[in-house]
Amino acid sequence: MSEFNVVGKREPMLDAWEKATGKAKYTDDLSLPGMLFGKILRSPLPHAKILKVDLTEALKVPGVKDAISGRDIPKRKYGIVPKAKDEYALAIEKVRYIGDEVAAVVATSPEAAEEAISRIKVEYEELPAVFDPLEAMKPGAPIIHEEVPDNVSATIRKEFGNVAKAFKDSDFIFEDHFETQPVNHCPMEPQAALAMVDHFGKVTLWSSTQIPFFLRRNLATTLDLPESKVRIIKPKVGGGFGQKIDLYAKDFCAAFFAMRTGRPVKFVYDREEVFTCTRQRHPMYIYLKTGVKKDGTILAQQFRVIADGGAYNSTAPLMITLACFFIMLPYRIENLLFEGYHVYTNKPVGGAMRGHGIPQVRFAVETQLDIIAEKIGIDPLELRLKNAFQAGEPHPAKLLVQSCGFSETLKKAAEAIGWREKRGKLPFGRGVGLAGASFPSGVSNMSHISSGAIVKIERDGSVTLLTGAADIGQGAETVISQIVAEELGVRIEDIRITAADTEITPLDPGTFGSGVTLRAGNAARMAARAAKEKLLEAIAEKMEVSPGELEMKNRRIFLRENPDRGFSFEEAIKIYQYSDRPMPIIGRGSYFPPAKEPTTLLHEDGNFSPAYSFMTQAAEVEVDPKTGRVRVLKMVTAHDCGKAINPMLVEGQLEGSVVGGMGQALYENIIMEKGQVLNPNFLDYGIPTAMEIPSIESIEVETNDPEGPFGAKESGEGTQLSPAPAIVNAIYDAIGVRFKTLPVTPDKVLEALEKRER
Amino acid sequence: MKRILKLNVNGEDLEILVEGHKTLLEVLREDLGLTGTKRGCDLGTCGACTVLVDGRPWLSCLTLAVAVEKKKITTIEGLAQNGKLHPLQNAFIEKGAIQCGFCTPGMILTAKAFLEENPHPSEEEVKRAISGNLCRCTGYVKIVEAILSASGRESRGE
Amino acid sequence: MRLPKFEYIEPKSLKEAVKNLSADPSGTYLLAGGTDLLVNMKFGVITPARIIHLKSIPKLSYIIEEKEAIRIGVLTSLRDLYTSPLIQEKFSILSHAAREVGAYAHQVMGTVGGNLCQGNRCRFYNQSPFWRSVRPPCFKAGGEICHVIKKPRECHSTYCGDLAPALIAMGARVKVLGPQGERIFPLKRLYSFNGKKPLSLRKGEIIKEVIVPQSSGKGVYLKWRWRGSIEFPIVSLALYIEKEDNKISLARVVFSGVGEGPVEASGIEKMLIGKTLDDSIIDSLSREVPQTVSPMRTSIYSPAYKRKMAGILLREGLDRLKWIN
Repeated sequence: MSEFNVVGKREPMLDAWEKATGKAKYTDDLSLPGMLFGKILRSPLPHAKILKVDLTEALKVPGVKDAISGRDIPKRKYGIVPKAKDEYALAIEKVRYIGDEVAAVVATSPEAAEEAISRIKVEYEELPAVFDPLEAMKPGAPIIHEEVPDNVSATIRKEFGNVAKAFKDSDFIFEDHFETQPVNHCPMEPQAALAMVDHFGKVTLWSSTQIPFFLRRNLATTLDLPESKVRIIKPKVGGGFGQKIDLYAKDFCAAFFAMRTGRPVKFVYDREEVFTCTRQRHPMYIYLKTGVKKDGTILAQQFRVIADGGAYNSTAPLMITLACFFIMLPYRIENLLFEGYHVYTNKPVGGAMRGHGIPQVRFAVETQLDIIAEKIGIDPLELRLKNAFQAGEPHPAKLLVQSCGFSETLKKAAEAIGWREKRGKLPFGRGVGLAGASFPSGVSNMSHISSGAIVKIERDGSVTLLTGAADIGQGAETVISQIVAEELGVRIEDIRITAADTEITPLDPGTFGSGVTLRAGNAARMAARAAKEKLLEAIAEKMEVSPGELEMKNRRIFLRENPDRGFSFEEAIKIYQYSDRPMPIIGRGSYFPPAKEPTTLLHEDGNFSPAYSFMTQAAEVEVDPKTGRVRVLKMVTAHDCGKAINPMLVEGQLEGSVVGGMGQALYENIIMEKGQVLNPNFLDYGIPTAMEIPSIESIEVETNDPEGPFGAKESGEGTQLSPAPAIVNAIYDAIGVRFKTLPVTPDKVLEALEKRER
Repeated sequence: MKRILKLNVNGEDLEILVEGHKTLLEVLREDLGLTGTKRGCDLGTCGACTVLVDGRPWLSCLTLAVAVEKKKITTIEGLAQNGKLHPLQNAFIEKGAIQCGFCTPGMILTAKAFLEENPHPSEEEVKRAISGNLCRCTGYVKIVEAILSASGRESRGE
Repeated sequence: MRLPKFEYIEPKSLKEAVKNLSADPSGTYLLAGGTDLLVNMKFGVITPARIIHLKSIPKLSYIIEEKEAIRIGVLTSLRDLYTSPLIQEKFSILSHAAREVGAYAHQVMGTVGGNLCQGNRCRFYNQSPFWRSVRPPCFKAGGEICHVIKKPRECHSTYCGDLAPALIAMGARVKVLGPQGERIFPLKRLYSFNGKKPLSLRKGEIIKEVIVPQSSGKGVYLKWRWRGSIEFPIVSLALYIEKEDNKISLARVVFSGVGEGPVEASGIEKMLIGKTLDDSIIDSLSREVPQTVSPMRTSIYSPAYKRKMAGILLREGLDRLKWIN
């Protein structure tokens, strides 16, 4: 029997019923009386000075209530990383990519707003534009932000150990170049915002956001208001994957127009705006040099990574830091030199996306490991096992790894894919491959580092939980409720949760860096403990025992040594009240992760994350040599997620993540021509449909991390790091062709096969 | 120009005054408050807006509301009968087939129409049937499982 | 994205629809399933003054088998077409093509007539007003220039339908009703190969039905796209052959996605006549194909890739028909 009653159970998501019946309300499902509808005018030029914006004709359209351009807004820059703020809510002096926001209108109908946008006249002075980061880094390239004359807006250079010496000591040196493509998150819910202003001038914004508290800060900045005048409420969010981290013009415009007109205002992006004008995964050029001993020991790695950031920074310094530090796991790499550059171009903006900066470099490393294995004659699995990092080892970058199931994930994934029987032994066109990875369980980010929670035990025996955590569909509210229920010994249905409202719930960093379960889970568990202690104190007094002798389980409080002696939860609450203690029973929790803020790691060493998850993906593919089509037949994902609080949700995370990773390996690519996205739609941008999915086996490797709540760590984000190299390695096994550029589309496979024939 | 529209939605006859150029999706969401039907792409490529018209899956974003006046329209709000969830709804909840939930209404309605045509489908047939309903969260695995399990349930008369 | 305003007409009969259409053929559009028209209207590339909703007309959805031919009503849904046991059994190429259109809902909404009249596609045309604002309007969207070849007053938009190649390969004819009455002509003549106005229908004419002759031959429809659903064909091929004494007596080879209409590769067809399908014939003909089609850069896929895939599809198609008598 499990030691837990609620934790570890396959509980359906708390809001699944609402979502299955159409009752769940997402931002665009909300309406307020007198609401106006907004629309944004965007730049048709990749780089230009704005000379004049004439709103006169737009304002004449019947139903139009207001119109603004960049000239009308507070000149306050925002950005998700405080030291990398480089963006105005609407472009003020110039536009920097096709899609940059130039002006906005609100009207009594969406039709009128669309009509008004078409009547705005903008005079531009076109400037030379640059679309490739390598070009943008050259002297004399067009300057995209005046304050960054070389277009390199974030840099990292870290050396650990003695790289030059280690290369000298190496028996083999490998050098390869890799390229990855821009990828869109494609949350099914397009970004939306609804704002209203009350009599006191306080702005309330309902927004499809992953991080309400960051949004409050950024929105207050752009509106030039104190944070206390801004309230963010997160309704249901239809997926984010990192794309709903940033503030967008729709948030600012909804709030700003609500302030100007005194009426509620709604902005909703269309799918093309989601594709073009939000965020995407950074495309990267990656140069990788690795030195190994004959026996496969990795001695040194050197990276030169150039990330195409597009027109603005978004998470630039954080992204490039993540790329660097998560090369240092899951393998033991004593000597590392990492140079990374985030470069501006006149293109859509890069931002956080599931894996955030890491999948690109992981693709390079894992592909090269297979090249190394072949050259020195070691099985790729053995090579990985040999270099696998273990828990408790000293880490060259001072990462504190307290639990690590990496080797086990390698072994289990290999076994499940049939590695020994299949690798190198399948007929031409069939192959298997694998790849490993590691991911943080929470990144300590900037000013919003800690998570808070409040737990109230109510008179009727129910429990109220307040958490700032933002559930965007991953099930955070369910998991946190399970943690609280377990701690209090009640049922999950006893918990009523209110989350992600900056006015009501305690501070929380939000959903990013895979820290929700660990951070907000720990905070909620601490709050539950605090409330429990108060209750136990009263019962101990009544029973004339010490609180330490009592246990709370199955809605009872009883003596551990003599479980028959005790009270039901309801009786206990009565006893608490009759002992003249104040109601309600409130517990507070605040969790501060023992890790450094990542961008400080640009300059100093230190621990990155409170805990690290580890994973291996293995793939079996079939390549049709006639057409070049690659079909993934099976994906195995073995994931060390610590303790799975809810195995069903963990599986769901892993499965979705793997399919996304497969999409990025084989189908997905934002194609651009002179800064214009050619495929901003689901017809031409290949997010996998149900027809593409392989059979998926998820293996949870449980390790029980001492820092995680009930031992839990990250799940589902790290899983997206390695499907692509696993698939690419399997393709090599199938047809003997090595791909170093993503995605591996049928045309490329066909061409490579033709070349091979010749 | 506005006109009186007579629609039968979820078994109810309704008369509403709307602009003649509105899509069924816009009328459902904006005039009838039936926001369970989602706008994912507005161009008929994601399936989130799928409703049933005379029991068959229909992309409401590519349907003029006036064009379905004499039809029976079912949205996700109309699927549960007398407070009892449809077996597909139960299956989606229990199997973990719902994450963010944005594709769920269209997915469930597509599955409902499909199972009525093909009560005992193979896994491949299920995948093909829902291949126009995009989902970014689940990787479809648990959705396919849920539909298959509901098909079993229906055949057992549960 | 909102639809522009228009006048909405529900005719009671096809005759009435023809009358309505004739009154203002350039400003009036026919609505059947709507899966193509409404997208183009949202994109603002089609702005009808009037829309005639054909589905209000009864008795236009049918599949009737006669001795010489089957007749398919213009409003027969793609789903009804490919689930029809008759079509599956005797005209599998057709059921296959219909099954490959879009996804489930598109097949339920979409009609045979709508699919045949599906608008030509181009990467510069099937885009939003914002997307198109980067350049002057193209000729097809009411401007002067074709951005594909950078020449004025031309349009090279591409036909990407699935049904037409299959039906042309089967030798189908269409019956149309116009102000002057009915006429019947081969389906392939429906396509003008003028990207700006891809259909050759005369003023006021509406397709009433498709007539597919009973046949003794075999056919395949092969659609090439990267995912298994939703997408239009990058290239597709309908192949139909009849054999006598194991020699090919009739061959039709029709491609979609490579030209301004469904492209019949008559050179290849001629080369097939009198031949026995063996590996060397299949090989040489497949190598011929890339030179016989001339797609333009109208999608995200390169013309060279389309040509290459056209050859690969023919090889695959002929391979499949090799053993069938």
